[in-house]
Amino acid sequence: LAELLNTCNTEQLVFVSNYISPRLKRDFLKDLPIELSLHILSFINDPKTLSRASSVSKFWRSLLNDEFTWKNLCVRHHFRRRSSAAPELPPSPTSETPSSGSNKFSYKDHFRRRYIVETNWKHGGRTLITHISPDIGVVTSLQMCQNYIIVGMDNKKIHVFDVSDGKYIKTLSGHEGGVWALQYIDEVLVSGGCDREVRVWDIDTAECKHILQGHTSTVRSLKMKDKTIAVSGSRDATLRVWNIKEGRLLHSLAGHQASVRCMEICGDIIVSGSYDCTARVWDIVTGECLHVLQGHYSQIYSIAFDGEKIVTGSLDSTARVWSRQTGFCLGVLQGHTSLVGQLQLYESILVTGGSDGAIRIWDLDTNRCVKHIAAHDNSVTCLQFDKKRIVSGGNDGHVKLWDLETGDFIREMTTAGNAVWRLAFQETKAVVLLQREGKTVMEVLDFDAQKS
Amino acid sequence: MTGAPEQRNVKLTSSEGTEFKVERDVAEKSVLLKNMLEDVGESDMAIPLPNVTGPILQKVIEYCIHHRDDPVPAHDDDTKKTDDIDDWDAEFCKVDQGTLYELILASNYLDIKPLLDLTCKTVANMIKGKSPEEIRKTFNIANDFTPEEEEQVRRENEWCEGR
Repeated sequence: LAELLNTCNTEQLVFVSNYISPRLKRDFLKDLPIELSLHILSFINDPKTLSRASSVSKFWRSLLNDEFTWKNLCVRHHFRRRSSAAPELPPSPTSETPSSGSNKFSYKDHFRRRYIVETNWKHGGRTLITHISPDIGVVTSLQMCQNYIIVGMDNKKIHVFDVSDGKYIKTLSGHEGGVWALQYIDEVLVSGGCDREVRVWDIDTAECKHILQGHTSTVRSLKMKDKTIAVSGSRDATLRVWNIKEGRLLHSLAGHQASVRCMEICGDIIVSGSYDCTARVWDIVTGECLHVLQGHYSQIYSIAFDGEKIVTGSLDSTARVWSRQTGFCLGVLQGHTSLVGQLQLYESILVTGGSDGAIRIWDLDTNRCVKHIAAHDNSVTCLQFDKKRIVSGGNDGHVKLWDLETGDFIREMTTAGNAVWRLAFQETKAVVLLQREGKTVMEVLDFDAQKS
Repeated sequence: MTGAPEQRNVKLTSSEGTEFKVERDVAEKSVLLKNMLEDVGESDMAIPLPNVTGPILQKVIEYCIHHRDDPVPAHDDDTKKTDDIDDWDAEFCKVDQGTLYELILASNYLDIKPLLDLTCKTVANMIKGKSPEEIRKTFNIANDFTPEEEEQVRRENEWCEGR
């Protein structure tokens, strides 16, 4: 054979080469046993390559419809299927190509949906609806849940919107003063404010079921344990534990020396932060004060609690981490140069927002600041984060999206206003309440997959 | 264990009957051979590997010798990156596709996970970033879609293009 080739001229050799080289190629994915083909695909983690590969041939397409590949991809992109505890993605209104198995779960579809949503967060999405209120009410409280967006205002009103389309549903009227705190669980809404009353509402009928009296000053914080128990904290320095089903007081928790500014409940434990510079840990069942957390030099404005660790944010420009079990201070988080008014805690990640305009990301395993973001020109008025992103709102009127892992700025979420009051987001939607051109504006943003 | 006996050589026979002598720790990079050697104990018998040709076995041994002192990889399936191939490994994989193909099969058969991952990553890298047509060219694959099917596939994949 070698001799034969030796006799060939260049042209002939090129012919031979062109003739032979395709024969030296292998259709790896087709020729290998399928588990090895899938092993190869498991090293590809960008969907673009995978989808392009599926256009190569019929065989490649069938291989790339393999659930294993897409499940793998879901895992690597952290697009896990939500557990039943967390709200499931609502069924896509644009479920194109009806799969023959109808409701059969497909990792490929799941991945595609999540990928589109992720991409929309980064540079897409749309404004679902914008409500512009003619009056200049200050938004004091906001909750976004599976069905509703609930907005509490200092003009005594509580407005309810549909989370799916952002449309206005109803207003709950009754409070005689500004509403300062509210929470909603399963059709039951509890609210409190300047009129010193706690009101329990059936959101479905808009009926006020109970008016709970007892506080002698503004109700400043309010949390529900479940549909039966709620706790209110007031400027009168007490907390009150209520049975909201029956409308009666269970405990009055005395001990704080000044206004109870913030509160969290986890299990049977209440933690409260006060302008008296201390936080307290209470047993919701007995009403007993378990610990007084002393250390801050100034008022406490914010608190987070995961059942184990308590984090408090203070006007002394620090946040402190405490053990719920022992009441000991586990760490003093220094870095902000002004009031730490915003906190969120998830697993070992703490994100704080300060009146210095900064956002800081902390690792609570080491109590160190891992990222410092110069986020706003003015106070951070609200923030929320999930596993991927942080959304923050500031007194500078901007709503900004950040990458949780890198701390990088991704984009502004909406046209800036004068000040952002509140914001909240879920997987595919965000709601922002801000003052723009002197008016109170509510915007609902949608990042879900749209029909092309 | 001081004064360990000198490493015994292990004999391997390729599919054509060619005999290869390797040191035991090199052979034990293969989980298959390791298990066999443990079962058989001390023996001068050559181990037949009817699924592996001589040239491929030669390559596999070359790989195992180079990596003989590597720590046993931790059981960690999360190392799915393809940009962690070192120079020696990259050079090792610069072979024709037929050889690469045989190496995948051999490393799978011999159960040498790092080599299997390396070779599969190499193929994955040949796919990455290419258009369908480029992929077809790379692997000499015929486009067997009808124009209608092609259009349908294109629509199915629209979601991740141009973003």
